[in-house]
Amino acid sequence: MRAARQVWSGVYNLVLGLVTVFKHLGHKAITLQYPDERMPMFERSRGVVVLLSDPETGKLNCTACMVCARICPVYAIDLERSEEPDPETKKRYPVKFEIDNTTCAFCGLCEEACNFDAIKLTGKYEFSVYDQKTLLYDRDFLQELGRDVPYEKKKKPLPKAKAAPKADPTSPKPEEPASPKPEESPEESPGEDKPEA
Amino acid sequence: MMVDSPDRPEPLTGDRNLETEEFVVNMGPQHPSTHGVCRLILTMDGEVIKKVVPDIGFLHRSIEKIAENRTYHQFMIYTDRIDYVSSMNANHAWCVAVEKLAGIEVPERAEYLRVIMAELNRIASHLVFLASFAIDLGAVTPFLYAFRERERIVDLFEMTCGQRLTYNYMRIGGVSKDVPKDFVSETKKFCSYLYPRVDEYEAILTENPIFLGRTKGIGLLDLPTAINYSVSGPPLRGSGLKWDIRKDEPYSAYEKFDFDIPTGENGDTWDRYKVRIEEMRQSARIVEQALEGLPEGGIKAKVPARFRPPQGEAFARIEAPRGEMAYFIVSDGSTKPYRVKIRTASFCNLQALPVMARGWKIADIVAIFGSLDIILPEVDR
Repeated sequence: MRAARQVWSGVYNLVLGLVTVFKHLGHKAITLQYPDERMPMFERSRGVVVLLSDPETGKLNCTACMVCARICPVYAIDLERSEEPDPETKKRYPVKFEIDNTTCAFCGLCEEACNFDAIKLTGKYEFSVYDQKTLLYDRDFLQELGRDVPYEKKKKPLPKAKAAPKADPTSPKPEEPASPKPEESPEESPGEDKPEA
Repeated sequence: MMVDSPDRPEPLTGDRNLETEEFVVNMGPQHPSTHGVCRLILTMDGEVIKKVVPDIGFLHRSIEKIAENRTYHQFMIYTDRIDYVSSMNANHAWCVAVEKLAGIEVPERAEYLRVIMAELNRIASHLVFLASFAIDLGAVTPFLYAFRERERIVDLFEMTCGQRLTYNYMRIGGVSKDVPKDFVSETKKFCSYLYPRVDEYEAILTENPIFLGRTKGIGLLDLPTAINYSVSGPPLRGSGLKWDIRKDEPYSAYEKFDFDIPTGENGDTWDRYKVRIEEMRQSARIVEQALEGLPEGGIKAKVPARFRPPQGEAFARIEAPRGEMAYFIVSDGSTKPYRVKIRTASFCNLQALPVMARGWKIADIVAIFGSLDIILPEVDR
């Protein structure tokens, strides 16, 4: 009797499983044929990092305040600061801005830390190359990548921020442009570990 | 046509002394059912396993040491990489530990969001378990179904935080971003979609005679042994102990939700599978309740960028999908931790494998190993 029940249960459950599977026969495929069709990316997708420019002037928003380089957990950002010669504005800009995409973890901390809408992670994800060295993106390339990226100004507009961004407690203290590093105490500045890391 | 060759051994006859000897089989490190790079050194007596030695360490990245060189904020992305199948829970554990160390109050809404994300991630993690467990045992269909559902959870995560695997969503003192507008409705839709899907998996697997033959009564882990080996999570609950940090030591907002802790009876492979199936339903229940009661308000407590917790130490643990995940932090008052010790469930659960696998056939070790749901980066860290 017990054996008969076992056989019945086995047959029933096998058929039940098959019926469940066959119910799915008529469904539309949920996969996409990738190179021809693409998933639309979400607005917040974190892909390749780009530098954003001001749509009016076409110049980079970046003021080279080094916040992103300091917060980066994998030390993928390397930048050097310079100042525009115009004595009125004395606008600071990055003379060198490199992101190493071989180490970038796409964590988005740089975007969060930035006070000037200068750096953003975009939904771009196709950046495979044949040569590893080409993954080291320089400033101009990052700017070109960011040209078509729409963004909203999250903080106060740049001209005002230029005069007194240092009042913000989260942004770093004003530093002498010639020697930004000695002001930092060594144990606080992860950016300084970069050459060794 | 038979050819008489001199190499051909003599046919065995009854009066010859047939001596047997043990032999060693290497399973892995590159074996599809070790779920990563784990090498199992099996000492076999015929087809029966006499001894199993898991050889781990292939994925060691010294994350604990890295923690000493990163600030508390920066280390968040490394917690993603400890357990990549349930990064939200790993994030959560780190946040809970650091907040305990510094005594930070987290806003109510952030706690709810954390619970929603952690539970969704638990469902996703159990779906990956189901998929890999089923395909290890030869059932291909549930693998595809489970990944189809996981895709929707991953989409919800991407909608919120922008990533599909290493979320880096939580922050010390809250979460990084508020959920987008349609997240709540989409998640509710997903929860009501999930219940019938779980029934479907059960219809295909739970009582299937082939599946029962491969799992029922296999790889028994009795409760005293499980406790002695500090097994946690679904394997412990499968052995019959009702132990869940979410209930017994509530963190975040878990004390506000109503959910059951499923347990097994015999502690066999099938019980561990069943516990996880049931946990998916319970997690969906928690998500629904949390979405109902999602309060308004801030999502992040004020934590300075140069965050310096006071000197001291803190230990906090949470219930990750694989069991207890705990962080022990020693702080010397600087921006970087002095020492971080990570307790991961996979490492402790793996230690019980030699006990569970002894005496079973070599085909069963795939089922037993699969039922522990080991994530190798979590074992090695």
